[in-house]
Amino acid sequence: MSAAPVDTAVDLGGIALRNPVLTASGTFGYGSEFAPFFDLTRIGGIVAKSLTLEPRSGNLPPRIAETPAGMLNAIGLENVGVDAFVADKLPLLPDGLAVVASVFETEIERYAEVCKRLTGVPKVAGLEINASCPHVKSGGIEFGQRPELLGRLVRETRRASSLPLLVKLSPNVTDIREMARVCEGEGANGLSLINTLQALDVDLATRRPVLRNGLGGLSGPAIRPVALRMVWQAFQAVKIPICGIGGIMSAEDAVKFLVCGATAVQVGTANYLNPMAAAEVADGIAAYAAGQGCARVAELVGTLEMPGGR
Amino acid sequence: MTAAAVPLAIRVDAEVRANLCEGGPNRRLVLGVAGWPGSAPGQFAMLSPGATGAAPRFDPLLPRPMAVYRAAPEPGGAAVEILYKVSGRGTQLLADAQPDERVRLVGPLGTGFPLPAAGQRALLVGGGTGIASLHDLAAAARARGPVVVLLGARSAGDLMGREDFAALGVELRLATEDGSAGRRGLVTALLEEALAEPGAGDDLVYACGPTPMMRRAAELAAERGRRCVVSLENRMACGFGVCLGCAVPRAGGGFALVCRDGPVLDAGAIAWEAVP
Repeated sequence: MSAAPVDTAVDLGGIALRNPVLTASGTFGYGSEFAPFFDLTRIGGIVAKSLTLEPRSGNLPPRIAETPAGMLNAIGLENVGVDAFVADKLPLLPDGLAVVASVFETEIERYAEVCKRLTGVPKVAGLEINASCPHVKSGGIEFGQRPELLGRLVRETRRASSLPLLVKLSPNVTDIREMARVCEGEGANGLSLINTLQALDVDLATRRPVLRNGLGGLSGPAIRPVALRMVWQAFQAVKIPICGIGGIMSAEDAVKFLVCGATAVQVGTANYLNPMAAAEVADGIAAYAAGQGCARVAELVGTLEMPGGR
Repeated sequence: MTAAAVPLAIRVDAEVRANLCEGGPNRRLVLGVAGWPGSAPGQFAMLSPGATGAAPRFDPLLPRPMAVYRAAPEPGGAAVEILYKVSGRGTQLLADAQPDERVRLVGPLGTGFPLPAAGQRALLVGGGTGIASLHDLAAAARARGPVVVLLGARSAGDLMGREDFAALGVELRLATEDGSAGRRGLVTALLEEALAEPGAGDDLVYACGPTPMMRRAAELAAERGRRCVVSLENRMACGFGVCLGCAVPRAGGGFALVCRDGPVLDAGAIAWEAVP
């Protein structure tokens, strides 16, 4: 890659990234699991698995199922808890990698408490509020789907932490622009979208859902066009930067998100089938930008030629 | 108890050397794997046919976990053999992979089999495609003490690799449901007899196969006060502890990941009634 004289650095709402590639929460563990496969500083950063105040042990199996060009999951937000993340997981990560901590809880006060515990911790470059996880019954889905609840959540987590604050939006809404504006109005520094699409598949032999949880979240290349559409719509609605997520398997896929208005991207499901995917996407974006004669990758952002402008 | 230092996994686009029919839906894949760091008995690899090249295919999306049947070191890597049965879209794609094509491989993965103590008899119980997990274990256990390999399948043609086991110099006993090879009936009947043999000492029982077979093997071993370890199969998206899709309930609560804590687990550590 030494030949490419392209500046890949981007600023994602106050989170300085060496290049625009992060990994999506829940698909990259706590980061060190991927150290055998590539030098983690080849990517811009990681978004770690969503953290709750206490450790959680997750749902009964089956937890995943394959679908056409995609997969369903209902893991149940299994995680080590915020304190163990800070004590045991963060020290394993290299310097020079932007670590964004994803926060999930069932009540606003608890969200705020997790945010407080992550603030001032060395290596934590920012927070991502998971307002959209569709598979814990008492949890996230309601925050991400109701503008007034989402607004309160962003306000209180904003108040709890001085760190750059991203809000990860649910795609399971009527109008993503309304949710994007609410977050911007309450002081979010950026938006991550999209989370998984709420989905269902059926085992005809038993006439039961394929997942023990019933409903799950759909991810993978199957959802990419939906994600591109929502990123474009959000880009039209707000000024804060957007991190595009949804079925990115290659650098070309990632560039499409940049063109639709994303400042950075997150590679998600691809990490499972190709543990080097994020590094390859990062290299490929730089090569693409060089091939287009760009001095900076950021020049690609929002360059979609939409007929009629919107 | 368990294995020595486990090598770090690699991701590599392996070269298909041979992809042979072993009768019916049963096949043997031989992959040239550059940089293969070696594997412990019972480890596995994730295979994605069609995921490489200029136009990679993402449907079906997920790689398939496959036991490392055996690996022959060669300069710069190893020839890795996989025994598998065509049972769905993923394995059909694998069957379609032609010599010189590439198959993406991530491995070696997981926690393999504990080896028997010096002189301890190893009783290996394999059912159907579960047989494929036991070859390297039989070879390693053979170097430490007596080994009896009990293989079972629907019929003679499904007893994959039986000649390879025989060539290891281990005692081989067979069972088929249709009686076309060995004893007519289930392989667990052979285990029950072996455990009752006069002079059978502190056997270590290893089982890999359908869940009811492993559960029965665990019961029989427990009745005799013998330790039993099983090698589980499960859906998984990654194979290295990240997707958390392959969790199985532990007997004492919580979950074990088949990919990282297993695939080999102590039979007593699993809440069998909650395994789907």
